[in-house]
This record gives sequence, structure tokens and C-alpha cells, in this order.
Amino acid sequence: MKKPAKVVNVANRAEKESSIMKEVLGPIRGLGLTFGRMMDNLTGQVDATIRYPEERRAYSDRYRGTHILTAREDGSPRCVACYMCATACPADCIYIEAAEHPDPLIEKVAKRFEIDMLRCVFCGFCVDACPEEAIIMSREMEISAFTREETLWDMKKLMNRPELPEFGVGYRPNENLVESRLAFVPKDKVRVQLTGRVTMKEAVEMIPHVTFDPNKD
Amino acid sequence: MPKFTLNEKEVEARDGQTIIQAAQELGVDIPHYCYHPDLPVDGNCRMCLVDVEKMPKLTPACTTVVNEGMVVRTNNEKVKEAVRGVLEFLLINHPVDCPVCDQAGECRLQDYYMVYGLHTSEIPLGMKVRKRKVIDLGPMVVLDQERCVLCSRCIRFFDTVTKTGEMQFFGRGDHVAIGTIDDRPLDNPYSGNVVDICPVGALTSRDFRFKCRVWFLHSTDSVCGGCSTGCSMRIDHRDGTIFRLLPRRNPEVNRSWACDEGRLSFHELMAGERVVRPLVKGRDGMQAPVTWEDAIRAVDSQLKQTVSASGANSILGFASPSATNEALYLFKQYLSSRLGVSNFEFRLAAEDQTVTQPEDDVLRHLDKHPNSMGALTLGLTSNELGGIQGAIEAARGGRIKAGVLIYFKPLVPRPEDRQAEAAVAELIDALEYSVVLASHKSDFLAKASVVLPVAAWSEEEGTYTNYQGRVQMAGKAINPGGDIQPVWEVFASLLYASGDNALWLSADDVFARMAESIPAFRNILPDHARQPSAPQTP
Repeated sequence: MKKPAKVVNVANRAEKESSIMKEVLGPIRGLGLTFGRMMDNLTGQVDATIRYPEERRAYSDRYRGTHILTAREDGSPRCVACYMCATACPADCIYIEAAEHPDPLIEKVAKRFEIDMLRCVFCGFCVDACPEEAIIMSREMEISAFTREETLWDMKKLMNRPELPEFGVGYRPNENLVESRLAFVPKDKVRVQLTGRVTMKEAVEMIPHVTFDPNKD
Repeated sequence: MPKFTLNEKEVEARDGQTIIQAAQELGVDIPHYCYHPDLPVDGNCRMCLVDVEKMPKLTPACTTVVNEGMVVRTNNEKVKEAVRGVLEFLLINHPVDCPVCDQAGECRLQDYYMVYGLHTSEIPLGMKVRKRKVIDLGPMVVLDQERCVLCSRCIRFFDTVTKTGEMQFFGRGDHVAIGTIDDRPLDNPYSGNVVDICPVGALTSRDFRFKCRVWFLHSTDSVCGGCSTGCSMRIDHRDGTIFRLLPRRNPEVNRSWACDEGRLSFHELMAGERVVRPLVKGRDGMQAPVTWEDAIRAVDSQLKQTVSASGANSILGFASPSATNEALYLFKQYLSSRLGVSNFEFRLAAEDQTVTQPEDDVLRHLDKHPNSMGALTLGLTSNELGGIQGAIEAARGGRIKAGVLIYFKPLVPRPEDRQAEAAVAELIDALEYSVVLASHKSDFLAKASVVLPVAAWSEEEGTYTNYQGRVQMAGKAINPGGDIQPVWEVFASLLYASGDNALWLSADDVFARMAESIPAFRNILPDHARQPSAPQTP
């Protein structure tokens, strides 16, 4: 039997929790923060500009960048071609072709798995939908290419990319539920002192510069 | 006609109906696995338990006949609790491999779990009884014993419908599994049906295996084009590709069944190159692509010239028993009313004989064309010619000079098709001027004076008359692309080009006017033809 959903009346709660202190002091505190930031910028205490591409912003651990296909222990793809990601995908950018797996306990395997990076909206629904943690996301977001064909990423590229260790793994909500591996070893996170306003007070990792080699890529 | 109470409502059932049948007709869905309207009742799955007043326990709805004054409840807590319990038992050893299971999306276990179950399994995955997976059972079926709920539908199908009895239960207790002795392949011509009737993913289709998840498919109601039986079919397609054909239930024709050849007939349709542009033979004797307007004008003027030079009797109309009634009607309309032609024939072999001859005692008929009966009803035979051989002789003898031919390749191939194709080639060869309407490319088309690309089965809407004389509508599932047009539209264009100002708007429109003018089709409406038990021509 379905349980009725819990309903919260936000208007009631706002009325109940409001007080003169909150109403008056809240905006003043907010203004204080704004002026503090302004002073920091004016006095040159913080450099608000990130000098891309020499400098980059550090993204959060659950950043939704380009996709990674994870592997089984033997290095073969975990994907069982269930099409859950393709079903959930709002951009219709995932193309899968299934084939028979020799092991009857696995039964089904993806013969082709392609993501059209130009169509992808990086919503992460595919990662949420995947029952096998076969698809996760990285923090890589530089996917520009010289031709459209290069932006159609196939299974090989999605499983193993030379750029990925630099950026690291991003959105991966079920890491502790399923035992999946990456076909590459991400580098340890390097803690570097600040760049940019948002990261002013914490020591965060700095993404090192990736040089583009047109002959290699 | 016993009156009884179903969920606090006074309703009426027919004599001898069971509760599940009566409820289904009244729109009340009772969950079930083993009950099937076209199979004998077994009552083993216990999913259809209902509460009948004055009965000591819940009773299965599929085995209990409705009696006068019965009070039945299908939705009270007692029933729901029981159904939930049964479902939990059925799922104890289920492997829950829905992501790789082709049944997912149309699986009764999934459906009923969402409605009645929603329980947490008490059995961890590692403790489940394992059985064999991915067992190859012949050309149509793949068996997975773990997913089975032991409803015995497949066993009863082979026992009662095909009477071959290949499948049975093996083992005892929670080790019971279905199968064939020594995994012998199911080689009877109706084995694909067990895939449809399996309510879970135990029996899945070999042909459809891993091709597409079912929720991506669009369905179009159609009629099988494989033989004169005219089984009601559903075309499942996506992006202009047919992925599978499934029978629709039609108690008057095919019940819930279809033969394997019919099921796979779409492969024959998708195979082979298509004619995509109208081709007209130029003065140099080579066929060159032209626009439809030019092709229609060329055909009409050439046929009119032939009529004025050597009379209307020198033209032959050779129809195809695979074309729709609408196509055949306008074909005849153009040739007889505009040109005065009376030589009509459609018989490649003895279709008028074989159309009602059964191939076996389940469904199939010997005539592998869907609309021979329609061609017979429309009077497309001539005693004088007596078939294609007569037509060839008449053309060789010079009595017949020009011909308009419709040719579709058969969807269910047979060895004798070669002879038929050779005869068509011979006829085209013998004719001075030949217009061929064809869907697929074949060698003999090179000899034709004009080749017109037409839509094949599943690419146009139209009616087919089956061996019983039942007029059934087949829907349009896919868009043929190119310059391809339905046959009826080609003849509508020819009628217009020849000076007939009547407008033919759609296949329904053609059908409606055919029903007005042909006595056999009188009082049949296009919407009637869409019903599962479509009306019959006498």
C-alpha cells in the first residue's frame, strides 16, 4: 500500500518562524557580506579573474562532466546494454547496440555504446538510471573538437581516455553500492592554494593545464 | 444469463462464463498468470484469487463459473493480501535480471509487483535457487528457467493447440523447471507463440533477442501478409524499421496465435533493394528515372494509343493477389471504365483453388497471398485466359499487346515462387508494352517498359479479404520513403490523367466508394474492417 506523501505548507512555516530580528538583521547581514567582498576586490586582496587556460577553477567532486564507462575486473565493460540510460536520457544522445555475452550469468553486453557529446546536456540522468554503475561522470568539460565525428564518443574512448587522470572522477552516486572499476587510475588530488573568488578561503586542488597535441588526438 | 454482484455492482454474465472472463468483459482486471482465453483452464498460479461470499476461502476466478446471485469482490484487503502473498512466493527464486531481460516492459511480474507487491524480498540474491539460463530451444525460442513462474501456458499450448507436446515440467519442489527433453529444439511451425503467451521472461524470442527494448517500439494494428488466413497482427516498429510482428487476438480468425513464417515475414520485406523512382524506357531501350507526372502521362497516353490502334482487348490487366482491395478496385476501375479492358487475371498458380485449402489444421493456408479472395471477389479472373500461362500464350500469339502488371514478392517464400516469378518475367518479355508496379527490385523489371515504385505491405493502409471472405484493415506502419506511392494512389493518378475528375482522398475513401459499387462489399464500413472480427463478404 502506498503511504500518503508528507505535505509541508511553506507559507505557514515562514509565518511561524519569522521574527523582527530575522526580518531586519537578515538583510543587514547580507549587505555586510556584499560590502566585505567589494572591499576585498577593491583592495586587491582577491584576484577575481581566473586566467584560463593557464589557471582553472577547481570543480566539486560531484561535477557532471564527460562520461566514463566503468569496467569489470577483467577490464571488459560493465555495461549490460539494458538501455536504462538511453531511456532516461532527455537529449536522446546515447546509442547502444546489444550483443550476446558468452557467460550466461551476464547474458547481455553492449556491442556499441556511443554518446553524442554535442547533444548531451550533462544532466547525469544516465548515471542515476544505471543499475550496474557502468556509466559515471568525470570532471572533464573540455570536449571541443575539429569535426563533428570526433564528438561522437565510442565505447573505447568512454572507457579509457588519456585526459581523464588529469581531471578526475566526477558524479558517481553509487560508488559504495557496486564494485566497479575504472580502466585507468586517476591521479591523486593535488592540493593547491587558491585561485578565484569562490575558493578564497579553502585550500583546493588545482587542475593542471592539459596541453593539446593536434597530432596525437 | 446469470446476474451477480461484482465489486458491489449488479452485473450480468453469459452462461458458463468463469468469473475472470466475465470480469474481463466488464472491464475489471483480475491479475493472472496461468489463465489464457485460448488455452484450457489450469488454475495453478493462484494469482486470480477472489473473495466470493459464502465460500469458506478465497477462490480462483479462472476456475469458478459465475452463478446466479453470486457476490464477488476482487479488490478488498483480503484479496489484495492474498495476491501479494502469492506474488511474493512467485518472486522468491526470481533472479531479478530485468536489465538484461527482453520481457522487461511487458512483464506481468513487473506489472503486478507495482500494483500488488512493492514488498522487500526476504531472500537475498545469493540464497536463491539457481536454474539454467540461456537455453537454446530452436529457431524461435530462448529459455531461461530461473525467470519462469511455472504457469504451464507453454506446455498447454503444445498439448492442445499444436498437439505436439514438446514441453513439460521437470524436477520437484522449488527445483521444478520447464523444458524439453534433452533441450530438443522446438521445431514445430507455431513455436513462436509460446514467447507471446509466456507472461514472464522465461521464454523469449530468438529473433527479437536484444534487438530493442519494448518501450521504444510503436505499434500499428495490421493483418498478416503471409498467407490467405489473414491473421490479425500487430507491427512493432521504430524509426521506419519493423522489429517484430505479434498476433492480435481475433477469436474468428487466428485466436491468439500466429505461425512462425508469418511472424518472420517482415525480414523478407526489409530484405532486398527497393524500386525508388519511376522508370520509363526511352527510345534507346534504356530505363531512365522520370518524375511521377511524366510516368503517369506516358503510361496513360501509350495505353490509349494501344486501344485506338488494336482495341481494348489487346490490353491485359494482371493484378497481384498481394495488393489491397483498394488497389485492385482502382486498378480495375481505371482499366475497365477508362480504357474498356476486359482481360483481367491475377492467378500466378491456382490461387483460386488453394486460397481455401489449409496447409495444416491450426492456421496456415496453402495460398501464400493475403488477398486472393479479394481479387476473386472483384472479378479479376478470366475464364478465357485461365491464369498467367494463358496470358503468356495470348501475348505470344499477338492477341494481347500491352499489359499493366502489379507484382509483389511473396512475404513467405516457397520453392514454387521461382516458377511464378519466371512466368511473370516471361509475360513481360512477351508483351510489347508493359507497365509493372513493383515494390522490390528483381531482374525481370529491366525488360519492362515502365516500372512504377509502389508501397508494399505495412507501408500503406488498406483492406485484405481473407479466405473466409473477411475484409480486414491493415494499417500503415512505416513510411517507405523515396518516390514510392501506394498502388491505389497510382491508379487514382492514372484515372485523373485519363480525364476522370473524381478525387480519391484516402484508402478509406476508396473503400467507401468500393463498398457502394461492389455488391459483395455493400454495408461494410472502413471502421468495421478495423474491428478484430471484421465483417465478411458473402
